[in-house]
Amino acid sequence: MATVARRAEGAVEGRPLHVRLLSSERGLGYLLLIPTLTLLVVFLAYPFVFGLWLSLSSAELTDLGRFIGLANYKFEFTVDKPFMQALTNTFLYTGVTTVFKLTLGMAMALLLNQVFPFQRFVRAALLLPWIIPTVLSTLAWKWMFDPTFSVVNWAAVHLHLVSFPGPNWFGSTGTALTALMIVNTWRGTPFYAIAFLAGLQTIPVDLYEAARVDGARRWHQFTHITLPMLRPVLLVVLLLSTILTFGDFQVPFVLTNGAPFNSTHVLSTYSYLWGVTGGAIGLGASVSLVLFPLLAIMVAGVLLLIRRPE
Amino acid sequence: MADRPEYFFDFERKDWVPWTRRKFLGAAGAVAAGLAAGPLLEACGGGTAQPAATPKAAIPTPRSGASINLLQWVHFVPAADTEFVRQASEFGSKFGVNVKVERITADQLQTRTAAAVEANSGPDIIQMQYGWPHLYTTACEDVTNEVNLLKQRLGGAVAPVNDAFCKVDGIYRAVPYTIVPNAWTWRTDYFQKAGITEFPKTWDEFTQAASKIKTANLPPIAQTVGHAYGDSLTMWNPVLWSFGGKEVNADGKTVAINSKETRNAVQWAQNAVKAGFVVHPEWLDPDNNQAYHADRISATLNGASIYIREKVEFKKFDKLSDNSVVPAGPKGLFTMNLIFNHAVMKWSQEKDTAKALLLYLMDKDNYLKYTNIAGGYNAGPFAGFDNDPVFFGPTADPKMKAFQQVVKPGKWPGWPAPPSKQTAQAQTQYIVADMFAKSLQNNGTGDMESSIKEAESRLKAIFERPT
Repeated sequence: MATVARRAEGAVEGRPLHVRLLSSERGLGYLLLIPTLTLLVVFLAYPFVFGLWLSLSSAELTDLGRFIGLANYKFEFTVDKPFMQALTNTFLYTGVTTVFKLTLGMAMALLLNQVFPFQRFVRAALLLPWIIPTVLSTLAWKWMFDPTFSVVNWAAVHLHLVSFPGPNWFGSTGTALTALMIVNTWRGTPFYAIAFLAGLQTIPVDLYEAARVDGARRWHQFTHITLPMLRPVLLVVLLLSTILTFGDFQVPFVLTNGAPFNSTHVLSTYSYLWGVTGGAIGLGASVSLVLFPLLAIMVAGVLLLIRRPE
Repeated sequence: MADRPEYFFDFERKDWVPWTRRKFLGAAGAVAAGLAAGPLLEACGGGTAQPAATPKAAIPTPRSGASINLLQWVHFVPAADTEFVRQASEFGSKFGVNVKVERITADQLQTRTAAAVEANSGPDIIQMQYGWPHLYTTACEDVTNEVNLLKQRLGGAVAPVNDAFCKVDGIYRAVPYTIVPNAWTWRTDYFQKAGITEFPKTWDEFTQAASKIKTANLPPIAQTVGHAYGDSLTMWNPVLWSFGGKEVNADGKTVAINSKETRNAVQWAQNAVKAGFVVHPEWLDPDNNQAYHADRISATLNGASIYIREKVEFKKFDKLSDNSVVPAGPKGLFTMNLIFNHAVMKWSQEKDTAKALLLYLMDKDNYLKYTNIAGGYNAGPFAGFDNDPVFFGPTADPKMKAFQQVVKPGKWPGWPAPPSKQTAQAQTQYIVADMFAKSLQNNGTGDMESSIKEAESRLKAIFERPT
């Protein structure tokens, strides 16, 4: 037997490299990983590392600059006052809209999970805000909030909810930020709803029937069956949505572009202001990367929660 | 080279003609004479100070078979775009060049430009707004030679603001293209109803007019104080200057916004708002146009597009509208206009053809056709266009004269400092407009001191940032 094994090894060693690679399970495994790794390196790792380098450099458009350590970050936190406003706005914008999207999305999913006429049509229609290109729908909202032609104000005035001419939505800090949150919530809620609906439909009906037999009311069924069973979906949706909202650019850029007086900038629009229109790419990169450590911790935390058994 | 027809731009014939040795010598002599005449013109007060020009006599020749992609804004007067494309196509047909004009709204132009600059690839020619040649200097081809050619033929002097924007360290990085003058368009009927017979000539008179219009319960005088790339800058920078305020000293380094003069300017604005002048922090550039056409306001500062579209398109208030020069402050009359120039990008494979196209478009006859069709929305950036028939011709609309009159007092953002990366950054962050906006909150009762201090801090972050 030993002679046969040695012969077999000798036969493998004598083969060309590609044949040996394909014959070995480990070698083939690494080989099959190459396309994925290439894609990850080219489209994720390289842009990220390059962005990181830019944030640590004095790079400007047309000039790669030189390494300056954490000077850009120090500048943002100690000198550049609107940055702190943008940072606060980003947290406020993400926090408030996430709570609303989560609540409304859940309510919408629970309703859509019921049987009613035109159920499929309504399900499809509710996805519209998420399907329409963001810039288009945001422009429509901009028109609706316009102080001169606002349909929102027209309706509110005619319903006697506010006095004429109604609030100037983009004219003051509070209402402008509120308007941004309304549009983001409107746009993001269907994503939550559809994801939750998919989760709801995987919960076995037997569980609810057993609970009903045991005398559990709707609320108890929701807290003891629906929520625990939805937990993995809920966490993933929450994670994705939070990351996307932290980085939201289109809605704030199209609606206010930071006005009035830089009070509605979020990190993405402020990063654009420095990096693209101001040409200071290094500074722009540092503004956009400032949340990276926090988001990394958050992602790790949520992934741990998802993996942890009940 | 036999398959490459070479042409010379014959300014007398106003056409490109094939090269001959004689023509080359003639042209070279003319350029040399033009360059030599620079100091003479200057000494006679007939020109602006010129840099020591590169002694080049090469006239760019379009290459038959070349393709040129030109990126430009969407004009507020659509017919002007049509004429521009017609001229570009005419050039293309004459010289066998495929010219493509790509358009994008002005507020999106910088994003496209920055992306192209970063990628080192894109259109052969990009329309540069304001001081972009100072931001993207290394991506813009040296066009000093072409500007000198144009100076010879179009009256020597370049309009000071175009000159300041195009010239970086003595080298022209863009060919001066146009000025979009900004003046006040106002409703004569509403002003008359309020007992005002002419548009205010000073900011104090302006406040009184705003008050009278408010008292008469008429649509207000209104303007943006938001992040509008044009109207915000053209309104609030001149207000600051006309009271003696400035963002930074002429050295381009020392921030000077925190001054008595700035306080006077902000104080005036607060008083004007309290009196009835309505400012909109949410308005972008098209918003005041829409409000005027919708009969919601009685006056606003804008390019000529409001008046031209009323006259040509809507025909509702054109007879009830007039245009007037920006009011003056205690330190005089200051204006700011939108400025556009064309840069040939360094990555272009067809630089000579691109330069030739720009010379063709700036040819006097072509350019005057363009300004005529634009109806006075544009003014030419060379002295040779000063008497443009669209403003001074027998059929010129006298109501358009104000737009010509605001060209000369025009300054650039950051003035009196020369245009630079820093002045461009301060401009794109709307620091001056934000200072006014914050002070004008709650019907003109915002905290003036904190607004000025915040503007100072933001300006220092830009001008004193180590690079």
